[in-house]
Amino acid sequence: MTESSLTILIVDDATANLKLAKKVVQQLGHRAVLAHDGEEALQRFDEVQPDLVLMDVVMPVMDGITATRALRQRLAHTAQHVPILLLSALDGTADVLRGLEAGADDYLPKPINVAILQAKLRNFARLVENQRELARQNKELADRRARAEEEAQLAAYVFTHLTDREDAHDPQLRIYQVPYGEVSGELVCGARTPAGVLHVLLADATGHGLPAALSALPVTEVFHSMTANGYSLSAIAREINRKLKRLLPVDRFVAATLIAVDGAEQVVEIWNGGNPDVVWRDGSGKVTRFRSVHPPLGILPEKDFCSQPQVFTYTLPGELIVCSDGLIEAESPEGRAFGLEAVIANAAAEGKGLQAVVGAFEAHLGGGPLHDDATLLFIGLPQHSQVVSVAVPPQERVAASSGYRLGLCLGPSELRQLEVVPGVMDFLMRIPALKPHQGALFVILSELFNNALDHGVLGLDSRLKAEPGGFERYLQTRIERLYTLQEGKIELQFHLHNVEGGNVLDVTITDSGPGFDYGAYLREPLTHDRPHGRGIALVRSLCSELVYSGVGNSVRARYAL
Amino acid sequence: MQIPVQIENGRARLRLDGRFDFSVHREFRDAYMPLLEDNSVREIVIDLGRVEYVDSSALGMLLLLRERAQTSGKQVVLSGARGTVRQVLEVANFGRMFTIEG
Repeated sequence: MTESSLTILIVDDATANLKLAKKVVQQLGHRAVLAHDGEEALQRFDEVQPDLVLMDVVMPVMDGITATRALRQRLAHTAQHVPILLLSALDGTADVLRGLEAGADDYLPKPINVAILQAKLRNFARLVENQRELARQNKELADRRARAEEEAQLAAYVFTHLTDREDAHDPQLRIYQVPYGEVSGELVCGARTPAGVLHVLLADATGHGLPAALSALPVTEVFHSMTANGYSLSAIAREINRKLKRLLPVDRFVAATLIAVDGAEQVVEIWNGGNPDVVWRDGSGKVTRFRSVHPPLGILPEKDFCSQPQVFTYTLPGELIVCSDGLIEAESPEGRAFGLEAVIANAAAEGKGLQAVVGAFEAHLGGGPLHDDATLLFIGLPQHSQVVSVAVPPQERVAASSGYRLGLCLGPSELRQLEVVPGVMDFLMRIPALKPHQGALFVILSELFNNALDHGVLGLDSRLKAEPGGFERYLQTRIERLYTLQEGKIELQFHLHNVEGGNVLDVTITDSGPGFDYGAYLREPLTHDRPHGRGIALVRSLCSELVYSGVGNSVRARYAL
Repeated sequence: MQIPVQIENGRARLRLDGRFDFSVHREFRDAYMPLLEDNSVREIVIDLGRVEYVDSSALGMLLLLRERAQTSGKQVVLSGARGTVRQVLEVANFGRMFTIEG
């Protein structure tokens, strides 16, 4: 640290003394400001705000002791300390003490000894310099703290609004969350596909606070936009992984549990990468655990990533319990972890599963601190298969459409690689006339397309699903056949045109399969009670016409806009 | 704290102790960085036998080591994890990225 130039106020009624002191001060590279008595000293002090004061004691008008007291009073409320050196010929112990008690820092005898004055000035200059440096550092620290607080507040705001979206308040979803700091690095999202399938995500990013929240941020947008477009759980997992891998440094990742609940089909899909076991507790009290079988998101490159979920079907109502490691690792004051077993045991309390677990968790903590974010999630799977309700907007009388056609023909490799329905929907939703009909169109398209693929091209029999363990076998066979598919195709035609003064969208889907006896099928009454074919019943209720043709391998659905 | 390193027949063994978390990240890096430049080292073994606790930032440090080791053509082996440490590695499915030995 180089000594910087100080402003030094010299107070003396004797001109010779003033001159001498001024010379010494200037030789040391400082600026000298002069005053001839105490009163003038106070005035000068206010004007120039000196770093140091050299003050004679015996002076007319106001003496040095009185002036020193007055200066100390003035400075009482500032953080800055301005050293005052008294110079006096009165050098008895009582005189020196009186000066020091008035607030002087040092007392030099007169006549002035130049060498001693120089040495004292150097010492005090160093003191002032240290004090300045300290003040600068304090200010920098305070600024930094203020900025960090502001950043954390912004992050907390954005994060709360991301997690507090309306669609996270799904009636099937109950959430308990405690952040470790101001911002949680754990995120819960819930949203439904256009066909009413509930998607839930619990994401837990490395670390806590702002960095963790930042890592979890890109996850929500992908989750919400892809769910809204009807993409499958595995497509969403794959896309989030791809995005995080690109955005995050190597040592950062996001443990995630993704769950899809299809209440109509009573099927649950679970993709667990790096989170504690997901617990399925059915109405009979039977507990099944789904462990993490994947690394967390953001680690594996796309080619090594496995997006395959675990799948199960349910008949009894019950609940899925999902928690973060922060919850099960949280320690009691004695250092014991809460544990998944405690979650399961307390969840058994009838009708208040989540509250019972939360109560036990808080008792376990015993008012002690958390060392990580903690999240607990209950997803209720209702008793009766719900009837999917699809919002159909009222028909509008709009100008006749100029009409358009879109045709697609998909062979084995396209059928393997593409998420056809969300992809096509993504395009259709760009047409303003179709946008309000997203839910209905998604259901129609996905039912008809899945029938064409599963039964037409892959030759799967839906009766298999009704057997015990049949659903899992059905899915497994589906994956195998799709993977090894050599030939077969599906053609999709979309025709938007005007019929009898109203706009209609005709969706025609033709597969290369052997078809089926649609005559008998269509004569069956429209009901939601049959275990299968529910989808087609729903499609029929949404469409003004549903016409099979050929050997039953081609179907045309007419939807009135 | 310094992390002891033993090199034998091209295998470098780093023996960690107690808590493996963000507080040891500098020591951990300082211990393995010279090994990456050492041509005689083909394999870096992280001995977790005396480790009682790992957190997610420790997993991050292992991933970073793995990437750096791959760049210098070396293998990373996680060795001797037990109890909760073993569980954490299993939940994160680190067996997919590392060789894990008993």
